[in-house]
Amino acid sequence: MPHPANSVEFSRRSFLKLSAASAATLSMLSLSAGLTGCSSEQASNGFSVLRSDDIIFLSALLPVLYSGAVNAQQMRANLQTTLPAIDKNLASLSPSMLQLTLQLFDTLNNPLTRGPLTGIWGAWSKASAADIQDFLKRWQHSRFDLFKMGHNALLQLAMLAHYGQPVAWQHCGYPGPPRLH
Amino acid sequence: MPTPDLFLQGIDNGWQVHNASLLENDLQLDVDIVIVGSGAGGATSAERLSAAGLRVLIVEEGPLRTSSDFKMQEPAAYTELYQEGMGRMSKDGAITIMQGRAVGGTTLINWTSSFRTPPATLKHWASEHAVSGLDEDTLQPWFLRMEQRLGVTPWQIPANANNEVIKRGCEALNLDWAVIPRNVRGCMNLGYCGMGCPINAKQSMLVTCIPASLDHGGSLLYLARAERLIIDKDRVQQLECHALDTWGVKRTGRKIMVRAKHYILSGGGINTPAVLLRSKAADPYQRCGKRTFLHTVNFSAAQFAEPVNPFYGAPQSIYSDHFQWRDGVSGPIGYKLEVPPLHPAFAATIFGGYGEVSAQRMAQLPNTHMMIALMRDGFHPDSASGNVELRSDGSPVLDYKMTPYTWDGIRRAYHSMAQIQFAAGAQEVLPLHDDAHYVNNLNSARAMIDSLDLSTYRTRLGSAHVMGGCAMSEDAKLGVTNSLGIHHQLENLSIHDGSLFPTSIGANPQLSIYALCALLTEKLLQRLVG
Repeated sequence: MPHPANSVEFSRRSFLKLSAASAATLSMLSLSAGLTGCSSEQASNGFSVLRSDDIIFLSALLPVLYSGAVNAQQMRANLQTTLPAIDKNLASLSPSMLQLTLQLFDTLNNPLTRGPLTGIWGAWSKASAADIQDFLKRWQHSRFDLFKMGHNALLQLAMLAHYGQPVAWQHCGYPGPPRLH
Repeated sequence: MPTPDLFLQGIDNGWQVHNASLLENDLQLDVDIVIVGSGAGGATSAERLSAAGLRVLIVEEGPLRTSSDFKMQEPAAYTELYQEGMGRMSKDGAITIMQGRAVGGTTLINWTSSFRTPPATLKHWASEHAVSGLDEDTLQPWFLRMEQRLGVTPWQIPANANNEVIKRGCEALNLDWAVIPRNVRGCMNLGYCGMGCPINAKQSMLVTCIPASLDHGGSLLYLARAERLIIDKDRVQQLECHALDTWGVKRTGRKIMVRAKHYILSGGGINTPAVLLRSKAADPYQRCGKRTFLHTVNFSAAQFAEPVNPFYGAPQSIYSDHFQWRDGVSGPIGYKLEVPPLHPAFAATIFGGYGEVSAQRMAQLPNTHMMIALMRDGFHPDSASGNVELRSDGSPVLDYKMTPYTWDGIRRAYHSMAQIQFAAGAQEVLPLHDDAHYVNNLNSARAMIDSLDLSTYRTRLGSAHVMGGCAMSEDAKLGVTNSLGIHHQLENLSIHDGSLFPTSIGANPQLSIYALCALLTEKLLQRLVG
């Protein structure tokens, strides 16, 4: 497996300059986002939890996470089922775990935090796969638990939702549950 | 022929089973005994107390799901049957904690492994934690009784290929291994114990002790969360419960007040101490929620030439205790080796990674074997341990801190697992860690394992066994209850669940909970009715 130590080291160093200030900013901003009502936006049509900004973010992120498992032609159709699956999983979380997850999304969506904390300075919909991989690396190798936690949470959320669906099973050779009757 | 849904039939025949989410008004109930939680501890206690003629109410915060609901699908199981919708984790987010939350508690979704409490653990409790009257001989008839009650016998059918790896590897290396006793009757070897047994073969509380309690006039109120005990001086006066919505997530606003002669908390580790913390129960030595243990687990994957199909067959049937006790009870940390079942969504999350790396690992799923090592935490002063805290909304979270002592066990366990996997014929082995990759020989695996940065987040960790947090001890400075499970400061409050354990068990804990709680209930009955 390639071990991209150099590029990781690079992004880590440039990130560290920001991150001390950023960790404090993150909690302040998610707090102020809550207070000013930015994060109280209603769930998008047809969803119980996910808001339109969350869907834009996930629509950029998920194809990168699923590349290799879902081919490019099927990616759009895949999102049509995966996004509702993620929504359903989130809706069953305890209120406090849901709140933490929504704060994570707020941080990713708010232009004031997104740039400095993720390295994605434009809109998520404009980010390239390489940009998103850089963002994931940056969080995975952060000095701060909050970002490592966020990195793992995004991956788990995505993988749980995708592989829970029959459409994903052919790729992993799972014939599905046995028929009982 | 479809499996008859015994629970729904019981309700049709007049069982007192009520759904709190449907309540339109607040409720006041009067019973002899109220039990918070319907898992291993609560249901075992309820059966005996109901049979003795006491009016028993079980309060359960999770939903009621019965055999006809169990479709062997991961998403429905995880969202409906697990604590916090499978979102429960240590406070730092580094350890996923799989704990049941439905009528039947964790017994509904566990993998059926049923071990007696190891004698070394009981001796350690007596000598180090001032636990009295719970030696091997005293507990023996209670193990026997619960084993008979729940059909516990060593698994007779050949192990599936995933479990077989432990046996083959251990035999090649001359290490100890054995067959796991399971609590099943008429098991079809499906492999979906973790999603609710669709054929009622698993002898969970849903099909055994809860029905027995209901048959004897007991009652069950589900989707009701025990919020707090109302305490006056040294007695509990009432239990305040809040009704939850259909999904068990939000409160509906309806309250249920329960007045009882005696109160039993059986919410398990994390939830039982949380009720006490919310109640501001007297805790002069600050023991409540402290010393909570997880049997923290690390993972090692292996590729085999032949299909393993780790998603089918009894999930756990072979184990090895070779590394569990050999350095003494409180030497370097011991660990038990077992396997988890691997269904796609669970597998993809524990493998970690994304894109091509994840896709490649998942494409190999049918030929993948997975082994786990369960750290025997809590026996050594330097062991990792957790404290239960309340979040601002009153919900509990476990602040569990890994320590160098426990990390040392994680590293040794990676070595043991790789060694056994290669000895069993694995072509490639992968310790589940962000910096690890598949390697095709033991020397490479050893070098890689020695170089891994064992830290939280980079190391994949999990837990399915929450123990401790309301330890029993004759010394009030060491425990929340005495050795009878009775609260040191509150005379009409008992704790009957795994939170009583002063350390982890060193084996999957369900049978320890059953036997201990059966014994404690008998002693409680003697006290209540003479």
